[in-house]
Amino acid sequence: MSHDIESKLRTALRPVTPSDEFTQRLVAQITAQGAASAAARRRPLAGARRYGWWVSAGLAASLVIAIGVQRHIQEDRDRENGAEARREVVEALRMTSQKLDLAYEAVKSQSPEAGAEQPRA
Amino acid sequence: MRIFSLPILAALLAPALAWSAPNPRLVLPEFSGLAQKANESVNITLDPALLALAGRFLDADDPNDAAAKEVIKGLQGIYVRSYTFDHDFAYQQSDIDAVRKQLAAPGWNRLMQTRSRKTHADVDIYIMLDNNKAIGLALIASEARQFTIVNIIGAIDLDKLHKLEGQFGVPKFDIDTAVPPATAPQAVVPPARTPPK
Amino acid sequence: MTIGWTTAHVPTLNEAPQIFLEEQLARARSGEPAALKSLIQAHRRLVYSLALRMLGTRDLAEDLTQDVFMQLHAKLKTIESPGHLTFWLRKVTTHRAIDQLRRRTRVPMTSLQDEHEGSAVEDGGDPLWQRHLRLLLLDLAAPARAVVLLRFQEDLDPGDIARTLGMSVNTVKSHLKRSLETLRQRTIRP
Repeated sequence: MSHDIESKLRTALRPVTPSDEFTQRLVAQITAQGAASAAARRRPLAGARRYGWWVSAGLAASLVIAIGVQRHIQEDRDRENGAEARREVVEALRMTSQKLDLAYEAVKSQSPEAGAEQPRA
Repeated sequence: MRIFSLPILAALLAPALAWSAPNPRLVLPEFSGLAQKANESVNITLDPALLALAGRFLDADDPNDAAAKEVIKGLQGIYVRSYTFDHDFAYQQSDIDAVRKQLAAPGWNRLMQTRSRKTHADVDIYIMLDNNKAIGLALIASEARQFTIVNIIGAIDLDKLHKLEGQFGVPKFDIDTAVPPATAPQAVVPPARTPPK
Repeated sequence: MTIGWTTAHVPTLNEAPQIFLEEQLARARSGEPAALKSLIQAHRRLVYSLALRMLGTRDLAEDLTQDVFMQLHAKLKTIESPGHLTFWLRKVTTHRAIDQLRRRTRVPMTSLQDEHEGSAVEDGGDPLWQRHLRLLLLDLAAPARAVVLLRFQEDLDPGDIARTLGMSVNTVKSHLKRSLETLRQRTIRP
């Protein structure tokens, strides 16, 4: 039985490969001895004024998309937070229950019935 | 000599005489020194908003989640601090004294105090009553390599809570398989070539 | 051996011979970017997998992976050998993940996307069951989780795990025993 869970763990925990896109970004960041990771993900807008009205339209469209993405990110975060809160509740109740069990075990072992339950030699 | 009228006197004294409702919320220390020493630490703070959020994510169709949802119904807060250490008695009782002092305040009633020499586990359970209803629970468990403080605000059903343990897939705590009292730890044999940091 | 930036040309850790890695390390220490790229390519799975299984989401795993390799770049001159490099990467990744988890009380849930990304060679096993097992792993406390990963993902023995994490061997064994029992119990329940 113990072998079973161990072999299942080995299978489930085989290493995974990050995307090539991430790796290339990583290398670019490191070889450029760039800034902090947050800055590395931002793409600065450059020279937009030179390109006229269609850039403004593009920016407006990007803003709409960004708001949509932001909402999606916020929904994801809410889901994550909810799942995290659920996990914490489960963990808190589990720990409390475990400690209550400690107390009850101690009380049971001290009770007169506990003495009577001792196996005969 | 001016004599204050009774209503005015009553109004002036009312704040001092007012029945101050008991507060089941403990002030839990940071324990930052202990967190540094600990092997594992658990720090859970669930206020009413987070409990409500968790309640939405507990699946009523799942028996485990449903049981947990039942227990947290009517609760206003759950606070847990737990620290596990590498060796026995790495923490001092004085570390927990700040919490014990609060439990000596009016309103708290000690429900249970257990001492086990076999497991070196001491568990104190306190309950706060208001108009004969439980409005708070405090639990301090001191074990050889771990101490845990739990503070629950609201109406708590101890029986339902105790029954939960089996439902979360965690085996009931078996005191025979608890970490044994410390013997001298095995020395870690250093490798022939120790990589520098 | 050609050093190129395509996956086809740069071998993974398991494939790269010792001599090649020693050569790349020497070149990277002397500042050759291509050699550094090779080292990252050869070790990215190790670091990323540890980070992902410790922290639970791809975003956090990528952040940590980036931090670890940035730190490696700064400390490259202190790395003596390929074996030392592997030890260093495992140590820094797990320690930083544990620190992050200690500062944060909540562990994010993984999304299905995280688990399917770049999955390992299919072995005919049940992917949903494997995902369930990986999610259960996230319920373990950080140090216990690190011990399980180093044992079953990295195939280290308790002595090596103890050196990597700065724990005693007894503590490692205790973590392993308790974690396996917990995982076993939680997987046999209907």
